[in-house]
Amino acid sequence: MFFLRLFRWFSLRNLRTHWGRALVVLLGIALGAAVFTSVRLAVHASLSSFVRSMDFFAGTAQKVLVRPGGYLPEGVLPVLLGHPAVKDFSPLLTTYVRRSDVPGDSFLMIGIDPLLDQAFRKWRISGDRDQATERWLDLIREPYTLILTEPLARELQIASGARLKLDHTRNSAEFRVAGILMPEGLALVEGGRVALTDIATFQEFTGLYGLLDRIDLTFKPKATPQDIEDLARKLPAELELRSPSAARDSGTAMIRAYQLNLSVLSFASLFVGMFLVYSLVALNVAARRRELAVLRSLGASPRTLFMLFLCEGMLFGAGGWMLAIPLSSLLVKYLLHGVSQTISTLFVRVQVEGLVLSPLEIAISLGVTLLTAAGAALQPAREAMGVPPKEAMEISQAGVRRGHSVRRLALWALGCILAGIPLSLLPGVAGVPLPGYLAILLLFIGFALLSPWMLERLGQRLAPLLRRYAGIPAYLAGRYLRDCGARTAISVGALITAVALFTALVVMIHSFRHTVELWVRQTVSGDLFVTTKMGQVNRFRFAIPETIVAGLKQMDVGADYVQSRRYQMNYGDFPYEFEAMGMETFLSHGGFVWLKGDPQETRLRLTQGEGVLISEVFATRTGLGIGDVFRTQIEGSSIELPVVGIIRDYRTDGGVVFYSWKHFKERFHDPQWSGVRFFFKDRASEVGGRVSALRNAIIQRWGDALDMVSGKDLRESVLRIFDETFAITTVLLLIALAVAALGITTTLTVMVLERSRQLSTLYAVGGSFRQIRAMIFWEASFLVAAGEVAGLACGFILSYLLVYVINRQSFGWTFLYVVDWGALAFSLPLIILTALAAAVPAVRMVFRAPPAALLRER
Amino acid sequence: MRSAFAFIFASMVILIGGLRTADADNSSGFLQVTGPCKLEFPRDHAPHPGFRNEWWYYTGNLKSETGRHFGYQLTFFRHQLTPFGGSAGWPDPPSAWRSRQIYIGHAAVSDISAKRHLQAEKVGREGLEGLGIGGWVQYGQDVTLFLPGWSAVIFPDSHKIAVAGDDFAFQLELKPAKPPVKHGISGYSRKGSTPERASCYYSFSRLETSGSITVAGKSIPVKGESWMDHEFSTAPLEPGTVGWDWFSIQLADRSEFMIFLLRREDGGLNTASSGTYIDSLGVLRHLDRGYFDVRVLDTWRSKASGAVYPSGWQIKIPLLGIEVDVASNLPDQEMQTSASTGVTYWEGSVSVKGVKGGSPIEGQGYVELTGYAGPFSALK
Amino acid sequence: MPSTPLNEPIIHAANLTRVYPLGDGSVVGINQVNLNVAPGELVVLKGNSGSGKSTLLSLLAGLDRPTSGDLSVAGNNLSNSHGMDLTRFRREVVGMVFQSFNLLPTLNVLENVSLPALLADKDAEETRRKALELLDWLGLKNRRDHHPDQLSGGEMQRTAIARALINDPALILADEPTGNLDSRNGMTVIDLLGQLNRTFKRTVVIATHSDLADALATRHIRIRDGAITDPSCDG
Repeated sequence: MFFLRLFRWFSLRNLRTHWGRALVVLLGIALGAAVFTSVRLAVHASLSSFVRSMDFFAGTAQKVLVRPGGYLPEGVLPVLLGHPAVKDFSPLLTTYVRRSDVPGDSFLMIGIDPLLDQAFRKWRISGDRDQATERWLDLIREPYTLILTEPLARELQIASGARLKLDHTRNSAEFRVAGILMPEGLALVEGGRVALTDIATFQEFTGLYGLLDRIDLTFKPKATPQDIEDLARKLPAELELRSPSAARDSGTAMIRAYQLNLSVLSFASLFVGMFLVYSLVALNVAARRRELAVLRSLGASPRTLFMLFLCEGMLFGAGGWMLAIPLSSLLVKYLLHGVSQTISTLFVRVQVEGLVLSPLEIAISLGVTLLTAAGAALQPAREAMGVPPKEAMEISQAGVRRGHSVRRLALWALGCILAGIPLSLLPGVAGVPLPGYLAILLLFIGFALLSPWMLERLGQRLAPLLRRYAGIPAYLAGRYLRDCGARTAISVGALITAVALFTALVVMIHSFRHTVELWVRQTVSGDLFVTTKMGQVNRFRFAIPETIVAGLKQMDVGADYVQSRRYQMNYGDFPYEFEAMGMETFLSHGGFVWLKGDPQETRLRLTQGEGVLISEVFATRTGLGIGDVFRTQIEGSSIELPVVGIIRDYRTDGGVVFYSWKHFKERFHDPQWSGVRFFFKDRASEVGGRVSALRNAIIQRWGDALDMVSGKDLRESVLRIFDETFAITTVLLLIALAVAALGITTTLTVMVLERSRQLSTLYAVGGSFRQIRAMIFWEASFLVAAGEVAGLACGFILSYLLVYVINRQSFGWTFLYVVDWGALAFSLPLIILTALAAAVPAVRMVFRAPPAALLRER
Repeated sequence: MRSAFAFIFASMVILIGGLRTADADNSSGFLQVTGPCKLEFPRDHAPHPGFRNEWWYYTGNLKSETGRHFGYQLTFFRHQLTPFGGSAGWPDPPSAWRSRQIYIGHAAVSDISAKRHLQAEKVGREGLEGLGIGGWVQYGQDVTLFLPGWSAVIFPDSHKIAVAGDDFAFQLELKPAKPPVKHGISGYSRKGSTPERASCYYSFSRLETSGSITVAGKSIPVKGESWMDHEFSTAPLEPGTVGWDWFSIQLADRSEFMIFLLRREDGGLNTASSGTYIDSLGVLRHLDRGYFDVRVLDTWRSKASGAVYPSGWQIKIPLLGIEVDVASNLPDQEMQTSASTGVTYWEGSVSVKGVKGGSPIEGQGYVELTGYAGPFSALK
Repeated sequence: MPSTPLNEPIIHAANLTRVYPLGDGSVVGINQVNLNVAPGELVVLKGNSGSGKSTLLSLLAGLDRPTSGDLSVAGNNLSNSHGMDLTRFRREVVGMVFQSFNLLPTLNVLENVSLPALLADKDAEETRRKALELLDWLGLKNRRDHHPDQLSGGEMQRTAIARALINDPALILADEPTGNLDSRNGMTVIDLLGQLNRTFKRTVVIATHSDLADALATRHIRIRDGAITDPSCDG
């Protein structure tokens, strides 16, 4: 009780007096907290929609029967029917379809047996029970009927009973809407963009007669693991009994890892804000040393003083967090879409229906903000604790400063930086490069601790030089910084952190983009990409019909073709894509971005079908290397091939395995074509016109049975997605820089205010306003210059960590390290200017009160 | 008819919906039972596609070697979704899942001494040949009805039924002690005021039964006697009829009788309510509404559904000198079939005690009570 | 806190020494001081700047700890006390009046006066009542809501005296209480301290350059180079 009163009397009133500084700090924390909170909320929205979707979709299944890479023959049903361990089973098929008469996005169509599915998934048709029953019976009774969710019906502008025409890879057909799903269970899958149809209709529509995506199973309570093994033995060997949560778990793990990575990145802003809290609390402790001594002499315990300042820090945390709420609500709207886009591009398809205000996420963000702020206040609060009561009897105000040994700090700094080396070599924890992040934190702390020493050196070396060339104000500024280096270290630290982040991200993003561009040019080469209708959204599961393939082969347009078949596979729990492609032709036109293995030799072995090429991600995740044997089951074929090379690939973070189409067909089975790309042989004349001609010819012959995209458009869209993905990062970065600029403003203002008397004395002994302002400005320049130089150095180390440790451990890929000197040369001076602009309020602060008044004061 | 009717009824309510509305009788395109059924065996043990509903229904009272008393029931129910040649044409080629018929199974074991009633249900579409989830096959004269894990095989001179539920199972062989009993007029059994409100209905009134029942993981050899009904129809119950009480009673003198009461909304009985008496030699006697009198002696309230069922009766058939009390062997033999038909009804083993022709007599049987858990719509 | 029997000295110092380390050597604050002060005395401590007067006072106030020797104040052995003991001692046993007043700028007069009682966890209502009583006595009642920067020097020092009295200390220590006051205000302050001593029977120790307090003193002690020079004063 009393503590609160004291806190109000002593701390709050002081903050109120100096509300400007407090506001700046609050704003800094608020920005940091807002970024942190909104990033987490945005990812959480994706995560929860994904998990919900997966859970509703998985239903109560205990195991899921699949045929890796292909479809399950429904001929296995009798095995399940007759097996004593099986309680219930439900076959299931899914595909993406879209309305053909009206343009719109594709949605998920699920084919089930409504009778068998009752034991697995929850779904109900709206209307009274009799009507509802009638309607779902219609699914079985009447071919080409479906039921839709309410939001989807609204989107398609269609009511129960109406008819609509749907497009699928191989077919278009008219459906009658038999009913509308209640918003529960299965209807919440994919953010509600789902339609249910009877399995018979599904098979007839897609042509997948006798085939299933999967069969969900539950077992009798008394079934033992042996019974289930017995079932597995009785099933054809090419089938796999999977855990229904496998897909959810691997997807969740990926999104979680992404969330943590983004959290860490967004924590950077909060981290920079931490410097602000530190500098203001430290200032208060220093400036109010005398008052602290008096409090002590009156019987306040050291603990009370410690708590006063710790609470001051927490107050900034709490206040900043509250201020962050409106900021977050703005920011999260912007992030929500970007984040779900990124997750869909990189990991798993998510449909975010809206923001979910998770109490846990809010608690995390409040907790992290409070802890950060409290952490920042810890050191000054400890200092306050150490103020001896005896100082109350001292007359001069010249508060004793317990100078940290600058040299000792520098040693600590070196220790921190060096400790990062072994840490960065440690493996990540569950896909999250925790040791890497720790190394980065140590790097920041190290450089912040190093800055006093640097300023001292700078002041010492520069002072004489400056005196000669820049006049007395610069000299005085240099001397001042030399002597109070440790004090300014903190705000320089903030600047270092921000500049380092900036530099590192510029380098990383540039390297990444450079490598992706190279990959796009080489591996995504080709002039026209053709796949089945809706092939992309259905992940190339459907082959192009034989008749069309025959026709495509005969297209006489002076182009080579590279056919391919992509299979979505799992290596253990790790999802990847297996692609059989026309290797020889491909290598003569495009290529790979080689990482390991002699390209010359690898090319040869690839074209001869001797082995597979794996992506870096695949190699990192599975531990497979050149010479190891890659094993899998695809559509019933057992595949065992050596790895002949490792390449960079950025298609998804799931990894890719390439093999020669021709040899796949010879050695295993006919993989058919899921897509084909054309390369024009004659590159001399303009290609664009010929691409359109080829495209038109295909449309004329097969209508909209095929989806096509020109190589140029495809490559552009890949890069556009890349840029969109990193737009989020850029926003985070700019906010970190803004917080750092606030840091400069506070530090300089504090430095000015602290020295009011000193500056007045300077004025009294003949310094002009101009000279004194120039001095302050020089101080700012030194700080900014030191921050920038150290930040640059720190940034290069950081960029290396990001490219080779963080990315590798988070996503499994690395890229060619390329420094974007142009961008740095352009932006670093800009940061200097911004930082100096941030000094302006401080300079204007000088002599806001007349010097005589300042000197008159005791 | 038995329960079948009930069933159908119930099932139709659920499955087809709208039974209670006047125009619900959307029977066009289906075959109608309007006159003589011309039942011939073993031919007519097999399903009769074309009629909308059909069921095969087994009940029985069995005893283990140590005298432990079990009741059981197994019903296969066929429901046809669309008539043949109906308006909704099938895609060509059709998927193997294309189907006009849905098969539903209900099974229960009443473990009377343990006061336990275990039940299970199954549902599956027939599909085209080879799908094998539910339906029937015929090899020679042998007809097999099946659902996953469940089957009833009807040979010309015996039946084999098997059910594997989650917490119980049974496998029984049944041998008819008497020839099939054709109810009504040679199997043409009226259920209402118009000729098509009728079904074709026959029973095996006494089947010597042996086999095993598995409860709590233990398989117990059992012996006893069963009753079997087979009935098919297209017409739903007459409007105003809310449910029925059906009795199948086997007396110790090897005679049997079956009575069904169609209850009206107003509390009275539909005049089509009737029965059949089978003497020990297998000679039949049709029992019109006026020949018997059934009085409720006792009731039981289900905690699960809240429905109040009769649980004890006095049945008088003055013409035959029968005056017996019928009492349920276990109050809770309520069936709750949420996954298949969604109907809640009571189907249970009963004991009989009284006099026949002036002499004391005992017996056993099964009773089915429908439409108590609210009218059919309150089914779920 | 042990209570002090009437015949016991309230201050007992034996061979009291305080040495400050400075660079490679050290500076002697006070050296081998022996001193006994009986309850109810008003001691005027005199000496030049750097003579050791402030050192002695800060030891008596529990603001600092002796290097060697014994010191006991109102039954509290200060030579062996640490941390929380000293904090409690400062709260409850002594009241301190400083040359530069040392009022907390963010607190108003009433709050400044109440602060030590609240730090000692005393009842807030009771504290308020007592603080108002003291302010009334010191003629500051109408200044109670003013902040220190709105007060004159004399008002500030009277506020400080009220603050020193709020916890009913057995011993009042004043360090150059008139140093920052004009002579009229200085006299008022000295009169107040004298009143405390005579009317309210408090033991008072005043360290000062000035002669204002001489008339009120029951004892004079002169200190030079860290030692008491007037042995006759050692009562």
